[in-house]
Amino acid sequence: MKKVKINTVINNRTYEFSVAPNQTLLRFLREELGLTGTKCGCEIGECGACTVLLDGEAVNSCLVLVPQIDGKEVLTVEGLAKDSKLHPLQESFMDHDAVHCGFCTPGMLMSAKALLDKNPDPDEKEIRTAISGNLCRCTGYVQIVEAINDASEKIKE
Amino acid sequence: MKPFEYKAVHSVEEAVSVLAEYGSDARILAGGTDLLIELRKQNVKTPKVVIDISFIKELRSIESPNGTIVLRPLVTHSEIVTSKVIQQYASLLMSAASVIGSPQIRNKGTVGGNIMNAATCADTVPPLIALGAKITLRSKANSRQIDLSDLFVKPYQTKAQAEELLTEINFLKLSPNAKSSFIKLGRRNALAISRLSVAAILTQDKNGKITDARIVPGAALPVWRRVTEAEKLLIGEKPSKELFVTAGQKVSEVMISHTGRRWSTEYKEPVIAVLVRRALEACL
Ligand SMILES: Cc1cc2nc3c(=O)[nH]c(=O)nc-3n(C[C@H](O)[C@H](O)[C@H](O)COP(=O)(O)OP(=O)(O)OC[C@H]3O[C@@H](n4cnc5c(N)ncnc54)[C@H](O)[C@@H]3O)c2cc1C
Ligand code: FES
Ligand code: FES
Repeated sequence: MKKVKINTVINNRTYEFSVAPNQTLLRFLREELGLTGTKCGCEIGECGACTVLLDGEAVNSCLVLVPQIDGKEVLTVEGLAKDSKLHPLQESFMDHDAVHCGFCTPGMLMSAKALLDKNPDPDEKEIRTAISGNLCRCTGYVQIVEAINDASEKIKE
Repeated sequence: MKPFEYKAVHSVEEAVSVLAEYGSDARILAGGTDLLIELRKQNVKTPKVVIDISFIKELRSIESPNGTIVLRPLVTHSEIVTSKVIQQYASLLMSAASVIGSPQIRNKGTVGGNIMNAATCADTVPPLIALGAKITLRSKANSRQIDLSDLFVKPYQTKAQAEELLTEINFLKLSPNAKSSFIKLGRRNALAISRLSVAAILTQDKNGKITDARIVPGAALPVWRRVTEAEKLLIGEKPSKELFVTAGQKVSEVMISHTGRRWSTEYKEPVIAVLVRRALEACL
């Protein structure tokens, strides 16, 4: 099996890698780059714990083959904070007690970020649709929806 | 995942020539939402080569030349949902794409992958068959156009050759007096549990009489097709609840004549009839 050369940007840093093609982006992030913020749940596209942004769009990193990120930009939960300041979504999740066990949180944050980047003023239905591919076994979603709504207000200010 | 060679191709020419070289040793990778799950299963034959077509720009567009719509296979479900042309001239396809999986799946999954994977529950297929879609399959030596409804042999099996690439899906725009709908029960998961669905198109003349009807159920028949037996009952009639109930019962009968009675029939028989009625009502 030949390794594949790729150029990519991960969390705003440019990389050139030579990768084994038979691995998912999820495993690559966690096992090769040590970016374990992205969580590994079902690995069949059902739970959304592995959600990252690929060229700005939310995708399940367990369904991306690593060489497919060639020429593309990846953003993971580790890339949300800027200059040691948390992203407003992260602040808001804490304020609203939207993090219980926390397993779903990174994926939720990334789906929420994809939404707010496109639609800075979503209504509740749009928020619920945006996180419909992210399962949470703890919160019942109410705090999460509120947190996203609140963050959207803060970002607008 | 077991080891395989990986080749990214950047044009249709390159894709078909690599496919000609490897034939059935190769698998095509588009969005990967079906293929990656398959590649990770323990008991499947791993291909020698995975040919990644996801970088081919010419295969990712929606165009609408003279009364037709041309969809390229790498168009994602999210792109279908936000396309003005699809919304205006093929809204049932938009409805179907909008209920596929989750936002993450819709951002990655492509219409071409949905068709070629040929799962019973492929949601874009019933609308496309109702629209009378034709597809183009290209190989290095040949290019052929067939009706989408002629592509399928049985679930997960198509008549496409290993070296053929799906390059185009095209159909006529719906006329302004045609109304369409797509209804599906529940949410499917990656474990491929079939969910019944119905795609319907109704055209009425200015007196309200039905002049054209198309009904294509999903996950009900061994292969997808228009249920002309039920469509016939509608032509020349004015819409009414009784008429739509009769059409629903007909679809149910046709389904049973194909599949026989089995454990799921008790559920599917009344449900498909109701879905057909609702899909037709949604076309008014
Ligand atoms: C959690 C989850 C939920 C899902 N929910 C739904 C749902 O609700 N409804 C639904 O219909 N589907 C659903 N799917 C299935 C899947 O997302 C869709 O079928 C999707 O459209 C597949 O497209 P893809 O580009 O990801 O295909 P890929 O996985 O890349 O390819 C699928 C198959 O098609 C072949 N192929 C792809 N492109 C071409 C081409 N141009 N020419 C020839 N062969 C080609 C591949 O070789 C492969 O065999 C779901 C999947 C998951 C994981
Ligand atoms: S780990 Fe990717 S969706 Fe569950
Ligand atoms: S906080 Fe535990 S799964 Fe969401």
